[in-house]
Amino acid sequence: MNGEGSTVSPTAMAAIVLLRVVIGWHFLYEGVAKLTNPGWSASGYLLQSRGVLSGFFRGLAADPNVLAMVNPLTKWGLTLIGLGLILGCFTRLASAMGILLILLFYLCNPPFVGYFYSIPTEGSYLIVNKNLVELAALAVVLTTGSGRVAGLDRIIHRLLRRRR
Amino acid sequence: MLLALSTVPALGLFGYAWSRQHAYEQKQKEAARPAKAVPTGLSEINVALVGAGAQGQVLLDAMLRIPGLRFRAVCDIWKEYNQRRAVNTLRKYKFEVKGYEDYREMLDQEKDLDAVVIATPDFWHAPHTVDCLKAGKHVYCEKEMSNTLEGARSMVLAARETGKLLQIGHQRRSHPRYLHCHEKLLGEARILGRIVTVNGQWNRAVSADIGYPERYAIPGDRLKQYGFKTMDQFRNWRWYKGLGGGPIVDLGSHQIDIFNWFLGAVPAHVMASGGLDYHDPKTHEWYDTVMAVYEYETPAGPSRAYYQTQTTNGSQGYFENFMGDQGTLVVSESEASYPGFLYRDPNAPAWDEWVRKGYVSAPKVQEARSESKEEVTLDVRESVTPDLHRVPVVLRDPYHQPHLENFFESIRGQATLNCPAEVGYETAVTVLKVNEAVEAKRRLSFRAEEFKV
Repeated sequence: MNGEGSTVSPTAMAAIVLLRVVIGWHFLYEGVAKLTNPGWSASGYLLQSRGVLSGFFRGLAADPNVLAMVNPLTKWGLTLIGLGLILGCFTRLASAMGILLILLFYLCNPPFVGYFYSIPTEGSYLIVNKNLVELAALAVVLTTGSGRVAGLDRIIHRLLRRRR
Repeated sequence: MLLALSTVPALGLFGYAWSRQHAYEQKQKEAARPAKAVPTGLSEINVALVGAGAQGQVLLDAMLRIPGLRFRAVCDIWKEYNQRRAVNTLRKYKFEVKGYEDYREMLDQEKDLDAVVIATPDFWHAPHTVDCLKAGKHVYCEKEMSNTLEGARSMVLAARETGKLLQIGHQRRSHPRYLHCHEKLLGEARILGRIVTVNGQWNRAVSADIGYPERYAIPGDRLKQYGFKTMDQFRNWRWYKGLGGGPIVDLGSHQIDIFNWFLGAVPAHVMASGGLDYHDPKTHEWYDTVMAVYEYETPAGPSRAYYQTQTTNGSQGYFENFMGDQGTLVVSESEASYPGFLYRDPNAPAWDEWVRKGYVSAPKVQEARSESKEEVTLDVRESVTPDLHRVPVVLRDPYHQPHLENFFESIRGQATLNCPAEVGYETAVTVLKVNEAVEAKRRLSFRAEEFKV
């Protein structure tokens, strides 16, 4: 099952592909759920922002022109990254963008000492929350090239190489 | 090749799961909505919405849950945004609606309309309402009835002349909890005894001015044509003199209306203090903070009612508090904060009968508590803490739905209006006087005939 350029064992690679698909699923549904909810806006989440960057995030929510860009970017970003990860299509780009997006979510509402949020959370977090875990998992996906093993990248890369 | 496509089935699985989830959500939504089919014998009412801003959307959402309505038109001068949004919403519900910028054109074109729901800025209420009534339509007009008494008066007269119905949007008048309090608790049970003091508040946190996406801005000449100087003024009209009445009118009129209703009287005097204490005077003209005291001569004796509205701190939200010699009622429209609390004075006759009849919940004895773990000693002069009861009435529908239902049922002859023009006028007289009193810096008196048209 080992593809070109991969140094991980076939079982490890299968686990990474599984990881990539479930993260992709999560992104895709987060995106689709927002796309199909006409009332959705990032403003609530942004307005709750805490921490050093809270001024920046609240500023995004305060300006309707900016918000009119942030909302579709978030919705479509989540959806496209999700599709990319599930299909293994432009996997590295999708992972990098996913890391960037999650990093923004994380920094918007970081679970630091002494911060409390009114958004209900189902667990207990200190510095590390599920956003950070998903971010770290995407770092694995980013660096292991699983799309070239099981994914459309396999075809894309072959086409690119033939051109050269 | 096989490996390259090996994860595609996951996408198929996702599509399947999502379609199930979507179908489930649709089913939930439909279950929450009353059946769209018109019950037998119920004639359809052709409705138009004039003013599709924030409040227009609230009314539209509530109306979409009421059976027997057919939406025909949406009128809003913000064609690029609000009008389009409302039209698209209604088209999704399979209504054939047309969008209009000018309400007169709408009245010319839409001959089949039975009713018009008006949610435009206050200074437009009178022309919109009068013209719609004269065109033979029944009208539901948002409060405040008008920003001027002449405007409000012309609306009452137009309703009388045309014989068409005019409901003013003081929606608490149709709220089942308020109706229960008025009819059962204050009417039949006289549960509070003599109401001597009343206290109503609406506390609202600081909020930024309302913005707009620049690419959808209304061109300047159209704004001017409809009485607005700038897009910012159009979005924040409530703060401008000549357009709205400020927070005392926007928020206060809902609750001061309840003072009149529950006390069964209109006030004799008012004094008030207010000012633009916090907000930027460049973009705000009306008072952001107002405190008013009304003096009533009720059928039972004198009552004093305090009202406060401020827009710098949202804690404690909004409520009306009626204090009688036998008990206290704290009530609000909200299900979240003050959904109806009653305190029985320990010396008052027992409320057992009202508990048995289901008018109030069984009491919860209030124990003297202290935040500190240490024993506290209560001063002997302190009043004994009264028992807490609840008003057992919950509204699960949107707040405005019962009032709209009352309007449409009245059109069908199955009900009478809960807030006809005359009642709305009394409230407008009561509330608009506060701004006058703030300016005059002295106690103003009402003449009894002021409340009549």
